[in-house]
Amino acid sequence: MRIRVNGSTRHVDLPADTPTLWALRDGLGVLGPKYGCGVGACGACTSLLDGAPFRPCTTPVGDVGRREITTVEGLSPDGSHPVQRAWAELDVPQCGYCQAGQMMSAAALLRHTPDPTDADIDAALRDNVCRCGTYPRIRAAVHRAAQLRREGGDR
Amino acid sequence: MTASMNRRVFLSATGGAALVLAVVPEAAADARTGTAAPGASGTGGEFAPNAFVRVERDGRVEVTVPRTDIGQGVRTSLAMLVAEELAVPFAAVRVRTAEADPRYGGQMTAGSTSVRFLFTPLRRAGATGRVLLVRAAALRWGVPDAECRAVDGRVVHPRSGMLPYGRLLADAAALDPATVPVTLVPRDEWKIIGRRRRRVDNADVVTGRARYGMDVARPDGLVAVVARPPLIGASAEQVDAAAALAVPDVVAVERLPSGVAVLARHTAAALRGRERLAVTWAGGDPTASSADWLDELAEAVPAAPEAPPGTPFSASFRMPMLAHACMEPINATAHVTDDAVHVWVPTQFPEGVQQQAAELTGIDVSRVRVEIPLGGGGFGRRSETDVTEEAIRLSALARRPVKVMWSRDDDTRHGSMRPASAHTLHAVLDERGMPVWRHHAFATWPLTVAPFFGRPELIVQNGDRFRYAVPGTVTARVLPAPLRTGFWRSVYAGQVVVAEEMFLTALAVRGGLDQVALRRDLLAGEPRLLACLEAAASAFGWGATLPAGHGAGVACLDDYGSAVAVVAEVDCSGERPRAVRVVVAVDVGVVVNPSGLEAQVQGGVADAVSTVLGAQITVRQGAVVQSSFRDYAWLRIDRAPRVEVVLVPSSAEPGGAGELSYPPSAAALAGAVHAATGRLPAGLPVVGEIG
Ligand code: FES
Ligand code: FES
Repeated sequence: MRIRVNGSTRHVDLPADTPTLWALRDGLGVLGPKYGCGVGACGACTSLLDGAPFRPCTTPVGDVGRREITTVEGLSPDGSHPVQRAWAELDVPQCGYCQAGQMMSAAALLRHTPDPTDADIDAALRDNVCRCGTYPRIRAAVHRAAQLRREGGDR
Repeated sequence: MTASMNRRVFLSATGGAALVLAVVPEAAADARTGTAAPGASGTGGEFAPNAFVRVERDGRVEVTVPRTDIGQGVRTSLAMLVAEELAVPFAAVRVRTAEADPRYGGQMTAGSTSVRFLFTPLRRAGATGRVLLVRAAALRWGVPDAECRAVDGRVVHPRSGMLPYGRLLADAAALDPATVPVTLVPRDEWKIIGRRRRRVDNADVVTGRARYGMDVARPDGLVAVVARPPLIGASAEQVDAAAALAVPDVVAVERLPSGVAVLARHTAAALRGRERLAVTWAGGDPTASSADWLDELAEAVPAAPEAPPGTPFSASFRMPMLAHACMEPINATAHVTDDAVHVWVPTQFPEGVQQQAAELTGIDVSRVRVEIPLGGGGFGRRSETDVTEEAIRLSALARRPVKVMWSRDDDTRHGSMRPASAHTLHAVLDERGMPVWRHHAFATWPLTVAPFFGRPELIVQNGDRFRYAVPGTVTARVLPAPLRTGFWRSVYAGQVVVAEEMFLTALAVRGGLDQVALRRDLLAGEPRLLACLEAAASAFGWGATLPAGHGAGVACLDDYGSAVAVVAEVDCSGERPRAVRVVVAVDVGVVVNPSGLEAQVQGGVADAVSTVLGAQITVRQGAVVQSSFRDYAWLRIDRAPRVEVVLVPSSAEPGGAGELSYPPSAAALAGAVHAATGRLPAGLPVVGEIG
């Protein structure tokens, strides 16, 4: 079957009931989305489906249809997306394993809430666990990304 | 091995293209006495470098770090040390994680030791490169070394001009390091050490390029998941693999000591195959319960010796089991061939994996490669070699590369647990309510993954850091562990220190004493701790009135060569206590990277909020109840407190930071709940039933 990933059409040779996470990782070598639980309980795999956050680990690849999947790789390959810039600038990652998911939740939030409050951030990111406890920097980085985004035009 | 390789500093020009320097561990000891002569011929011991510094012709520098980055940022902090001494721009440094190699000496990442143990050897490695490059330039110019300076990857001389390192490599490598004295950059001239530095891996993390153990994919490789016993201690008796083997892309089903493995061409098939396995399990105790285990521990707490006269006071606490729950579930990839083994695993114990591979396969250690990708958290769990055993065994059977992946429920249920414990603390109080005698008795389990951690004296030594001027003793009893137990961030200090600090707070609450003043009085002889306590109290604004329903708690710790004090504020006015603010004042001696230190402190605080306000592992009907972050109630952003880190200036040697903030943060948070509610917590977590 064909799916749209980060702007290109890719061919996946796996059964339709395969979780999208494994179609991306094992089938296509798209390794940015991480496996943390496989049951939608950690947010490590968070990616976007037509711009809205979704959990590839609990979404069968056959259900994706013609919708566009955006993974962390799709934010930008060079780290220039405001969320990526803010994350690097504020030195958010510890082990880094959760951060692709955190960033995708943040990117989705900023698309419809360009100037989020702390409460908005809580609501949008509360299902993304960071076992290393980087939350203070994540919060600061979302605000910083919002600022970069306003300065640099929409992304 | 040639004679020159016996030098403490080893260098070679690899075809003139690069200058390679290595230092052996003895250099650290020498430097401490200030008598280091880097090039002095080694009297014994073979070539055993613990770090390589490689200067390329284009001026780039590669540092090979014999430690594993599991989120604590050693790849960054250790590279900073080399860059400082080598006098190169930090941006020119690339960091490589060393493969397992006996020549590095110990490569274990544990006990908050990485910066402590490598602070001097890595600086010496960089400094040796610098002085040799300076000497090479000075010889070429015919000027004294002392007139030359190394700066930003070049040697400069007022009259002779400037030579980039890249043009001095062959000359420098031809020098005998014994003839060039090594001096370290004086502290007041540091340009890199002590300044905030972002992680070297950030660019890879934010673009999704960073590669973890879970991302290893080998050509023709298989993925394996293991069906593990539903009851603790059970094992597989009969296996009907037919349905599992019928799943497309499932290749094989194999028995392991730990369970039954399903090997498949991709992860989804392996997981599906595991669901279809029909296994009959035998053994285990369907009545086992962690509530009972904690009762048994409480009954086993040793009696206190006879107390001196005075007002007696005592309190008891229970501490639950905890899972490591690394964000990246445990995994390893192995490829066993006829005469070699190759393992890819984010391990905290590379040499252990290498040894294990040799033992399991009969292949010589020299033919075992262990490569170390990034690790998505460790917290002690990645010092174990259970998963590499699974991967090596399965690859030996399959004759193909095999990646073993623990699913999240495997990880939560079947990993080693932080031992549970029960504590009873006694004190005798004077007329002001101040303790003049104390005794701490506790019962716990050993660490089954490290058999030497079964001796009560060792457990007391590891966990008890009581520095207050109260005479007394600690007595421990060790009961057999009912399940696998292991190192968890801060190890036994996570129970023992927390109980001791909760007890001090209980004394204060009971006597109407001020928590800070009580500790201040008892820390008169501990200047480092006292300075941290004052710094934390003042940054917090200790003494100001808190909002209704809020409480504040205090705790201190001196460990890992560092000191720390924490003041925490909790809001108990709602349905569930909420951590509002945590102020942590730390003295870790010389700070290499303040940004990394602050991150480690924040991490310890997050562990504390999690385990004080909800997370614990329980066992019912013979099995672990929790299975993912859904029921192992780890902290989320919406409950994360403000964390303020105060660096207490210090000229002490670098101390450890990775495990420092957890125990006092947990105790301060529990103390805050106690202060807010007036109810003595029964232990951790302070909400719900323990165990
Ligand atoms: S892996 Fe998808 S939510 Fe945890
Ligand atoms: S940075 Fe390690 S889990 Fe978030």
